[in-house]
Amino acid sequence: MFLKVQLPWNVIIAAENLKPQGLMLQREIIIRLLGDFAMKKATKDLGYFLAVTTLEKIGEGKVRQHTGDVLFPVVFNAITFKIFKGEILEGVVHKVLKHGVFMRCGPIENVYLSHLKMPDYRYVPGENACFMNDKLSKIGKDVTVRFSVIGTKWMEADREFQALVSLEGDYLGPISTPDI
Amino acid sequence: MSGEEEENAAELKIGDEFLKAKCLMNCEVSLILEHKYEQLQQTSDDPMNQVSQVFEKSLQYVKRFSRYKNPDAVRQVREILARYQLAEFELCVLGNLCPETVEEAIAMVPSIKTRGRAQDDEAIEKMLNDLSLIKKFE
Repeated sequence: MFLKVQLPWNVIIAAENLKPQGLMLQREIIIRLLGDFAMKKATKDLGYFLAVTTLEKIGEGKVRQHTGDVLFPVVFNAITFKIFKGEILEGVVHKVLKHGVFMRCGPIENVYLSHLKMPDYRYVPGENACFMNDKLSKIGKDVTVRFSVIGTKWMEADREFQALVSLEGDYLGPISTPDI
Repeated sequence: MSGEEEENAAELKIGDEFLKAKCLMNCEVSLILEHKYEQLQQTSDDPMNQVSQVFEKSLQYVKRFSRYKNPDAVRQVREILARYQLAEFELCVLGNLCPETVEEAIAMVPSIKTRGRAQDDEAIEKMLNDLSLIKKFE
């Protein structure tokens, strides 16, 4: 789910980048904030950081001892993406393996659907390997699939989420004619 | 996170901070990100290089999964759904998945039935009809 959040952060401006003119300083703070935001990528609690939408407030700067850098508290609005257990989402298959498929969903690359969680589908090997059921419904590369999330995992080292998903439930599975 | 075992979006157990947070539908995110991207195009020769991977992947995703493209339609979808006392989360799941039948809507958002908010089948039916009208006239 995409979320709109308001976040309080601290932005540090190095002493040499402090410009006397008010607008130049504000510009510097915004550039720094956008850079920090993109670098952060994601956190366990809030999910992925997509974009800053508006800057609400820049507080009073505090000079840090020793370095002379100035720390500005800022409040801004942003869009994040977090995947929840129990959520129903749609994703696109990007890799087909014998034991399941990997899908993309929003910024997440590793959404895994195991063959154990799509019981009526069988693996069909070949150059364009895929999974197929008796009704010839096909889960292959670039197919859109609607699934429910059974588990999520935060990978601290890569600052990424992984998700385990399932087709067990009504109205889940490949979407053959997306009306988009 | 302490409540992690408890999390279950199907029962609307997603943690207080997320329950209160404003959720966005794919089509709304698409409008915002595309606007941002256009702004970048005006100031940079290579806008794709200016955005993070998270931004890029999300933009691709919401472009593919937006059921409504026209900004007026996007606004109307939220207006219509807002009449039905839905949680933000439920509202966006419905707006994203566009279920066609009452049964499908309940399968996608089981919490609309379990929380006893008098969402009878008739009200859900009406809501889905209103949504499909927007799609038709978009």
